[in-house]
Amino acid sequence: MTSVRARLGRLTLLRKWFPGPVVAAGVWFRRSGVAAQILTLVIVVGVFAIGTRGKYLSWANIQVILSLAAIPAIFAIGLHPTIVLGGIDLSIQGVASLCAVFVGVLLKNQFNSNDVGLWIIPISMAIGGAAGVVCGVLNTGLRIPSFIATLGMSWILYGMAVYVGRAVNVQILDTRIEKFASATLFGVPQIAILAVLFAAIVQVVEDRTRFGRYMYAIGGDEVIAKQAGVNVDRTKIAVFTIAGIIYGLGSLLLACRLGVATSRMGLTLLFPTVTAVAVGGVALTGGIGGAKNAALGALIVTALNDGLVLMHVSPYIQQAVNGVVLIAAVALTIDRKKLGFIK
Amino acid sequence: MSVGNGASRDSILALRGITKTFPGVVALDGVELAIRRNEVVGLVGENGAGKSVLMKIMIGLMQPDEGSIMLGGEPITLRNPLDAIRNGIGMVFQDGSMVPNMSVTENLFLCHENGFSNLGVFSLRSMRESARALLAELHLHIDVNLPVAEIGPAARQMVEIARLLWLSRLYGRDNPVLILDEPTTVLADKERETLFAILRDIKKRASVVFISHRIQEVIENSDRICVLKDGKNVTEMDASDARLVRIEQLMVGHSFSADRFHQDDQGAGGGKEILRVENLDRAGSFEPISFTVGEGEIVSLIGLVGSGKEEVCKCIAGLEKADTGSIFLDGRRLPMGSPSSAVRAGVGHIPIDRRSEGLALMMSVAENVNLLVLNRLKAGVLLSPARERKNAQHWVAECQIKTPSISTMCANLSGGNQQKTVISKWLSSQVRLLILDHPTRGVDVGAKDEIYKLMRRLAKEGIGMIIMCDTLEEDIGLSNRMLVMKDGRLMKEVDSSPRSKPSPQSIISLIV
Repeated sequence: MTSVRARLGRLTLLRKWFPGPVVAAGVWFRRSGVAAQILTLVIVVGVFAIGTRGKYLSWANIQVILSLAAIPAIFAIGLHPTIVLGGIDLSIQGVASLCAVFVGVLLKNQFNSNDVGLWIIPISMAIGGAAGVVCGVLNTGLRIPSFIATLGMSWILYGMAVYVGRAVNVQILDTRIEKFASATLFGVPQIAILAVLFAAIVQVVEDRTRFGRYMYAIGGDEVIAKQAGVNVDRTKIAVFTIAGIIYGLGSLLLACRLGVATSRMGLTLLFPTVTAVAVGGVALTGGIGGAKNAALGALIVTALNDGLVLMHVSPYIQQAVNGVVLIAAVALTIDRKKLGFIK
Repeated sequence: MSVGNGASRDSILALRGITKTFPGVVALDGVELAIRRNEVVGLVGENGAGKSVLMKIMIGLMQPDEGSIMLGGEPITLRNPLDAIRNGIGMVFQDGSMVPNMSVTENLFLCHENGFSNLGVFSLRSMRESARALLAELHLHIDVNLPVAEIGPAARQMVEIARLLWLSRLYGRDNPVLILDEPTTVLADKERETLFAILRDIKKRASVVFISHRIQEVIENSDRICVLKDGKNVTEMDASDARLVRIEQLMVGHSFSADRFHQDDQGAGGGKEILRVENLDRAGSFEPISFTVGEGEIVSLIGLVGSGKEEVCKCIAGLEKADTGSIFLDGRRLPMGSPSSAVRAGVGHIPIDRRSEGLALMMSVAENVNLLVLNRLKAGVLLSPARERKNAQHWVAECQIKTPSISTMCANLSGGNQQKTVISKWLSSQVRLLILDHPTRGVDVGAKDEIYKLMRRLAKEGIGMIIMCDTLEEDIGLSNRMLVMKDGRLMKEVDSSPRSKPSPQSIISLIV
């Protein structure tokens, strides 16, 4: 109770100096869970705006950032619930590769006569979801740590993807999804709007449904959650399945944007996605952070890389910067005092 | 039966003849407990008397081997805590049972949110309002949006009580049974008063089982008191008739056999000084304390949880850092807060939780025994397997560790043999002073005896020991001298030589 009292004390002091609405807004901002991320974004934007003498803030560049951030944001929204559970999902590269191969084979292309049209959306999501179910069952049924279960699954799926796709680059001739994605609505790239809507829906599910509550309860303390009556295994399997479904959607969008479907497409996805989730403030110890964090993390990482490009920083240095950002983000989000030792 | 029957006639919840055995231990032996409507039942007993097992059975975390649980006269089966909740039985755990990252509101209704759900989507506003109303009923002012990790132990307990009351209402139980497991140990004086005020208030609509080691507090705040000892009912009395001294006598019992602790082997102690602690002080844990331990002497530290005895030991072992003062081993000053220099100087620490702190469970007996002396087992730069084997075999024989082979994994040994492995690890490193934190916890009777014998032998060989035991009898029986601590202060030094062992009653009045 003492901490509550201390907080109230600090609040009354603030009230003396600032008008009520400002204090209320401040409290709301601090409790929003994304305060640090928004401040980070402001700093990143500020630094590059000065560094590029305003070029960074041109609407054209902002459009570029928004459309580039959308797909990483969707992947990050897919990955983050597995981290909220206290686990992790490393299967993203395999899942995305397999989905991309199926997108290439099933959409209109020059190699076969398949043309499933927009049915590819549920199909790709179903393939991802099936992979997620397997990850979830390995994790809960066979009790294999999610780190190993999903790492193994990633290579199994990637192997399948190469086997099915024979490492061929398949041109995607059905351009409807690509056209939708690159179009703008009131000047905002539609794919960015899609990502924001998607983040909002997932966030509501997390905040305001039983499933979302259970997810956070498991991430906070699995034993207590179980005692309270949470069906831990079912929730975990559902989380991995949903993660897979979202990867399916993400890889479909990515393949369509690239215009080419290939099994190699997934191979560079894991690092930026984990970085986005960590930068967004989703604690790797579980239980903290939501879809809004994941999406903001992706936006911050994209804004950073875009700025580095505009400043003509060598691509190799850019990679190193991303590594630093990942480690720094984890250093700032995890309360390491609570961990007995670090493995 | 005679005790329980009278009380169970008008009882809301009655436990009948509950028996529970674990390998080697009878935890509960035909225990009877009846709880009437609107009543606070105080449950007291020493550590290991069976209180916590009884509570776990009441909330469905454990199943009794024999006996039945009657709710309003009907027998019920509690398979899990949720079953218990549906029957209006809930427990507030000592260390809390709420998810730390979630808010007060979220924790209050966790897993029972259906009433706030509209087509599967919760109304956060109505949840918050209900949470506020619920806490207001108990006259609590807690920010319902704060994560539970941030509200402090007292507020956490109150929220848990509120949750249990709400759940029992949800499941239509008009007189729920709340079990409070040592709620006051984590509270400050003022918070304790608040808790008791709330207890008096909820008594109007609930029954409470109140467990505490502070007997006076139990007498003052319960209607009836049950005393458990060694897994059996000792007696039951109205709180108004209860006297502190009488309850203490009942808790400790009279049976006391001298040879149980091999007192004939007890040395005179007080030989050459090994350990000298001078004005050791750690803010918030204990006040300046000074004492010595001599060669072959067993010194027992006595006190309740929170008396500071654990912290004193941790400081000596280098696991915690004292603020001021000094520790000398064989006349040489030990650096503070460095476990490795403590080990090098010859301080051994046998922790209470040997499975997680004392042993590497996944390593073999030999690897554990040799862990501290690897330098001596080298041939050149590499470890010599022959020397390792020889050292391990020597200590396994010396401490009579019963193991199929020295390469058996420690996880596969019994509790007693695990403990002997920990002790032999220290002996092998030629320890001067051993700190034994509850050395016989979770060990069966036979192995206890062997550990006692081993301790007597170590004392003969001149090793000094500081012990903290499960029961007062054990402390008194084993030690040469006792240091009684209370609220971080050294209250008294009591002589415990074989001819003049003090009575447990005389000690217990010093610590509570």
